[in-house]
Amino acid sequence: MFSYTSRSLIGVSKCLWKAPVPFRSLSSPTQPTPPEQEKTPVQDPTPTRTPVTPAEAAPVAPTPAATPIATPTATPATAPASTAPVASTEAEPVTEPSVKEWSERLGAFEDSRLPRSVQAIYLRPLRRKAEYGLPVCDLQLRSYSVRNVEFFADFAIRAAYYLNLPVSGPVPLPRIVERWTVPRSNFVHKKSQENFERITLRRLVQIKDGNPQAVQAWLAFLRKHAFYGVGMKANVWEHDSLDAGKAMDASVAEVEEALRPELARFGQRKDNSAPGTIFDTLNSERFAERKRL
Amino acid sequence: MTKMAGLFRPKKLDLSGFVNTRLIRDNNKRMAFEQTEPERQALRYMIRNTSLPGRVRAQAQLQLSQMHAYTRPTQIKNRCVASGTARSVFRDFRINRYQFRMQALAGELPGVKKASW
Repeated sequence: MFSYTSRSLIGVSKCLWKAPVPFRSLSSPTQPTPPEQEKTPVQDPTPTRTPVTPAEAAPVAPTPAATPIATPTATPATAPASTAPVASTEAEPVTEPSVKEWSERLGAFEDSRLPRSVQAIYLRPLRRKAEYGLPVCDLQLRSYSVRNVEFFADFAIRAAYYLNLPVSGPVPLPRIVERWTVPRSNFVHKKSQENFERITLRRLVQIKDGNPQAVQAWLAFLRKHAFYGVGMKANVWEHDSLDAGKAMDASVAEVEEALRPELARFGQRKDNSAPGTIFDTLNSERFAERKRL
Repeated sequence: MTKMAGLFRPKKLDLSGFVNTRLIRDNNKRMAFEQTEPERQALRYMIRNTSLPGRVRAQAQLQLSQMHAYTRPTQIKNRCVASGTARSVFRDFRINRYQFRMQALAGELPGVKKASW
């Protein structure tokens, strides 16, 4: 049914480790898109959903761009703190605009650059393409703060990519607003009240036609790296072939075999067998007396 | 009655946090109800079951009415866990409206903020 039902969990994890290697070998300096996968979405030069602060802060910093006398020494300062040690090793030509697009900056230095997997953090999360679009798992994230829930949704999507799971989302679900109004002091002063509210933000991440084992691994990974202040709720659906009855019939032998030690404990003790039938017992004097009580 | 109430009191105090006589009493009632709930339900079933003989049903009625008051679910009342008050206790936080305001202003309730709209 699925494209990779036969692939085991070990195979998936192998793929996870293998992923960064071809990036390095096939990397071209101006192309930040990893060439390993053929159907990657178009890389947006401005990262929209990366919660990493340097990525969002950097395009805003306009200091060298405003001054036309920007020297090469001033240019690397625009790079975020994480890329700074690498970026500062080389000087750019003066003719180029001092603030460049993210895609250019990340791939600008051929001999010294961040690994592709690290660069990917500054870009939009990569996604697998769903072949059938059959929903397998709904993960709902809840939090009281936007930052946390956005960050964790992004994390979940990236993790799903490396587990070879096609994912859709994060879908912003309606916020849950709870409000309470309480008097500020005693009952007499009922006119003076105060309002409080609690807004729960929700994000939905949906996995489509993934291997059930990989989905379980993904959920376990997210639980292991659970983020503070973010609650998770997952609905997992299992799909079976149409002739489920046949499969159940086939598994009867297995179930019986598993139940045999349990069923062997049931039965009548041989030394406990009373003579006569059950009606003898029911009609006996002792039983009738008991019943009367 | 009061003597019987001692039966439901645990030998050792099994509450922590804010403790009050009334809180302890309410806790005892909850424990008593929890322990006797199957019995109560069985008696209630017997009373309502018209297929049973009238004598049995009357006996069940008597037994149910003679059970201790603490075993009734109606005796249970939600109380504020921070102050023991029984009035205007929020179910969401299990605290009183005043405690709620104090704790919310102190930022001790996650996600609760002052609202203005």
